[in-house]
This record gives sequence, C-alpha cells and structure tokens, in this order.
Amino acid sequence: MTPVFTPEQEGFREKVCALLCEDVVRAEIAQSRRTPYGEESGLLDVHRRLGKLGWLAINWPERYGGSGATIVEKAIVTEEMIRHGVPENVHSLGVDIVGNAINLMGTDEQKERYLPGLARGETTANVLFSEPDVGSDLGSLATRAEPDGDGHRLTGRKIYNMKAQHSDFALCAARTSTGPVDYAGITLFLVPLHTLGTVIEPVWNLSEERFDLITLDGIRIGREDVLGEVDDGWQVLNRVLPFERTGLDHSAKAERTLAALREHAPPGSGERLARLETRVRAARLLAWRCIANLHEGKPDEIHSATAKWYTSETAKEVSVAAVELLGPRALLDARDPDAIADGVFDAAFREAPGLTLAQGSSEIMLYFVATSKLGLPS
Amino acid sequence: MTTTIAEFFEGDLAPLVRRMADRPRGEGGDTDDDRRETRAMVWEGLTGLGALDDGDAAGLAELLGSVLYQGPLLDTLTARELFPDADLGHAPVALAAGSYSGQDETITARCDFVGFADEVEHFAVVGGDRSALVRAGHPSITTRRHEETGRGELHRVDFTDTPVTTWAGPVDWAPARVRQAAYLVGLAQAAIDHAVGYAKTRRQFGRAIGANQALSFRLAEMSMRVDAARLLVHDRDAAAHAAATLAEAADLARTVTVQTMQIHGAAGMRSDDDAQLYYRRAAAESVRLPQPQE
Repeated sequence: MTPVFTPEQEGFREKVCALLCEDVVRAEIAQSRRTPYGEESGLLDVHRRLGKLGWLAINWPERYGGSGATIVEKAIVTEEMIRHGVPENVHSLGVDIVGNAINLMGTDEQKERYLPGLARGETTANVLFSEPDVGSDLGSLATRAEPDGDGHRLTGRKIYNMKAQHSDFALCAARTSTGPVDYAGITLFLVPLHTLGTVIEPVWNLSEERFDLITLDGIRIGREDVLGEVDDGWQVLNRVLPFERTGLDHSAKAERTLAALREHAPPGSGERLARLETRVRAARLLAWRCIANLHEGKPDEIHSATAKWYTSETAKEVSVAAVELLGPRALLDARDPDAIADGVFDAAFREAPGLTLAQGSSEIMLYFVATSKLGLPS
Repeated sequence: MTTTIAEFFEGDLAPLVRRMADRPRGEGGDTDDDRRETRAMVWEGLTGLGALDDGDAAGLAELLGSVLYQGPLLDTLTARELFPDADLGHAPVALAAGSYSGQDETITARCDFVGFADEVEHFAVVGGDRSALVRAGHPSITTRRHEETGRGELHRVDFTDTPVTTWAGPVDWAPARVRQAAYLVGLAQAAIDHAVGYAKTRRQFGRAIGANQALSFRLAEMSMRVDAARLLVHDRDAAAHAAATLAEAADLARTVTVQTMQIHGAAGMRSDDDAQLYYRRAAAESVRLPQPQE
C-alpha cells in the first residue's frame, strides 16, 4: 500500500522541498510562529511564491491559477508544506476546502471570480458552517436565507471560523426551506466577509489561531453566488467532503511532531517511539489510500472516515506523548527563547484537541463506520 | 481542617482561583496585578486556616487540584519537610530544581520551571546531594518567566553566588509525589465534573449528547479510574509507591482532560471555557516534579 510515485512526482517533491528549505523561507516560517498573540499573520510570502509557480492549487486548471496537475501533486505540496512547518490552515481553508468546492461545483463565472486569487496565494476564504448551537448536527442549523428578488438575505450567527479576520469571502451554509428531512433545504452561498451587515468578533481560544464569531445581519446575496443549486447544499457537501477528509494534513502533522520528538526524547523512550512511529506510518498509508481513491475518481466514504479518525487521533496521541516523554521542556512556547524544536510541541499540544473535532468529529466518523461499514443498527 | 478550607473555596472565589495564575495572551481580561492580588489573598486565607500544618496533606492537595489552585503551597510543604528547623513562619517557598555548584556559604545554579519565583520569600534549591535554602529578593538572583502551555507562573531562576541560609540533605520526593498525585486526582475529578455538566446540557441530534453511550461510557470509565487513583493517593502505603502513583495520576489527568476537551467540542477550546484550562493545567502539573531516574 506504500504510495508509488512516478519519477516526475518524486522530482516535483524534491523541488517543493528545496523551495521550503531555503533560508529565507525557513526564517519567515520561524518568525510567523513567534508572532505575538493576537497579531497572527494570514498568508505568508511562501504561499505567494508557491502560488506564482502554480503549485499552491496545482491541480486546478491553468486558467484559474493552477498547473492542471493531479490530486497527487496537490497532496505532495500539502504534505511537504506541513512537514516543513508552513502554517497551512489559511491555505487549507481557502484552497483545499472552499476553492476546491468551487472548482468542483462552481459555475464558470464563480471560478473566474474566486479561484485565481486563491491559487496565487493572495486571497483567502473561510467556511461558515458551525453555529453557537450547531456543531456536528449541521442539519439543525438556524441561519436563514430569505428570498429577496432573485437573491437571498442571510441572517444568523456563525462561530469557530478560524482566522476569518483574514478571509476575503466565505462558503456559508444557510437554510432556504424546511421539510421532513433536516438535510434538505440547506443552500451554500459564497458571501463577502468585509461588508456592511457582517460583523466579525474574535473568539479567543487555546490554539495558535484566532476563532471568530460572525454575525450576518440580513446581507443580500445574489443568485450568482449560490454554489450548486438552492436547497441542494447537502449534495455539494457530499461531493466535496472526501477531498477534505483524506487525513493527509493530520498524518503530516503527526510526522512533523514525531520527527522532533525522536530528536529530543530522552534515552529509554525507544519502545514508545517505535509504537508511535508505526501508528504514524499507518496514518500516512490511510491518507494516501484516500488520495489514490480520489485520483482514480472513486472516493470511498468508509476509507475517508477511517483516515480522518485514525490520522487525527494519532496526531493527538503523538502531541500528548511528547509532554509525557519530554516533561516541562515540551511546554515551552515558540516565543520562549529556550523553546526546543521551535516550540513545535507546545503548538501541537494546543492544536491537538481541534484535530479530532474539525472536519467531522471522531464521534461522527465512529458512528459512520459502525453503521455503514459494520452494519450495526443506527 | 480540609473541610474548612473547602468552604473557603466555595462560592464566588472558585472561578477567581481557577484563573488566578492564568495569563491570557493578547486578549485582555484581568491584569497581572489583579491576579497577583488574588493569589496573595488566597495565600493569606489558606495559611490562616492552617493549611501549612494540615495533618491530611493528601486531602488538602486533592482539594487544591479540584479548584485548580495555583500557588506555592505544595512547594512550601515540601520545603518545610526539608528544613524543619528553619524559621519559615508562614512564608511561601518555591522549589528550584537543577544542578548547582555551591561553596559553604553561597550557591550558583540555573533552575527552570520554578513556580511563583517573583512572589516567594525563599527558594529551596534542590536536586543534588544537598539542598540549600536561600532568601528571595537578593540581587544575585534573576528570574525570567517562561512562555509555556500552562500560561502560568513558571520561571527560569539564576542564582549567582547567592548566600545560603541553611543547608539540608537531599529531598525525600515521596511525600511531594503523593501530594502532587492527589492534586492531579482532584484536577481530573473537576475536569470530569465539567464534562458531565456539559454532556447533560449540550444538545445535538435532538438529545443531550450525554445520552450517547459513546460519551457516557467514556465518562463513566474515567470516573471509575479517578475513584481508583483516589484510593491510591490516600492509601497508608502511598509513600512507598509514590513514583508509580504519581505516574498513574499524571496519565489519568492528561487522559481525562483530553476527553473533556473532546466532549466539549470547539466550545471547550474557548479561552472563557474551563475545559481548555484543565487541559493546559493537566499538562503542566503532570510533569511538574522531577521524573524518577530509575
């Protein structure tokens, strides 16, 4: 099951690594990790450089800023960015989730309008799904979209939107009709974030990245900014989710933390490290199995759920094990002059709880596997 | 006496105590001076109620963990055992562990992760064959606060030819480890209580999330593990198994707080929710004492 890459893909990986290993890039990454709290950065120069080369969204068509390559090359870029510590959440939200949804399901006009900026690393996008009372149960969302001429007016509150203060626009789920099935009647809208009628407030949290609370106060969205069909948002999500749930980001994060842990772990940690290493190798194989499925045009929901659950739980386990094995040294923040490994352990520990919650919580993955794979009663 | 101290922490004081050594970063809130004032008031209260002479130190430590107390009390208890003849009164003492070189009258050492270094009256410099008691505030001592996961009051302290008040032998870590284990048991119990409260009220898919056995069984299992660990820390043979008991309590506190975070979902990550506070404090407190070398 070890992924087999063509010589061209191996060569491409080397080129990506060479760029990410340049002194100027490494310095920018290290600096971004020491940014004072509350002043975190959005996209970095390294994103723009990757964008200029057509690598940031390499699998998108050239006319939209990509290189017309496959999902495999895209996954190589993602994996190497995370292995090299490039802050990737802004990129992942913009390109991998929102941009990818537009690329798959958008109109030509939407693609023209939104994709080039994302692919160049110049604009970013966000996802407005969760609400104060709605997390895993997306079907019960309360944000409403009332018809207004040929468009809609959106009213509601969205929360836990990471770094929305830096985002130019967002993919927002809102209810357009009600019926016997909760999931029907949800529509996905592309909404501007810095406009009259939209209020963004910080929600300070454990992780390195700020969350936001976004209030939509009747903003008007035209028909041209519906992604997919009205009332049919659930179909769009089902099409897009396999791309979001490959687990590759989590497996790469686990690899990065483990590599640092191997370097700093005290003598006598060998057996524990070996077990973690095996888990991390398995996580990577599960992630690449999903990439291979997508490459062949055969996404597999059970493989996706398995990869999402296993990789995120593994990344969390490595982060917690680092505290146990390294002791207080693991707790030093990148902003402490004596931090080891650029503070990767502290950052990973504070990021870990979110990994098993975002993009479908572990419980949702377990439920899906229990019912769909094992056929247990729901 | 522990009952009186428990009453002291009840009511309005509890939320203040939980955050009295938590420094929010870049997000406003109470100033350092406000928090320091709360810590000083809590120290006065605890010592006034006899916390330094409590016969049930494990019970006291568990109570402190359950309110996420942050301060020099547990270090002070260890220092008082180490220097029984020193006239410490009610003065707070910090344990400073690290390698040092010392002459008869002075000591030079670099110690990391020293708690509350800027507000104690003495340091007990430990870690070698001998331990040294030194007075805080001497110009030969410099401190720098660490930036760390716990966002608490942990410091690097450098001693350069610092005058030594009293010498003693090496620390007997066993009682300190039992107290730390008890603290972690109290912390774990409080984290479970927090998660149970949330699981009862948070609704998804038309019912309280705690109605799902995937969650309720996990909470039940953790509750039983805490029950078991509590018996270990209060057992009369606890000191004989101190290192192993602390390892179990440390693992338990980390596991419980990881699960508390998961049950709370993204809400638990919010700075104004205590779930993330338990998670960060469990990380810091579970590795607070030097690990046994054997």
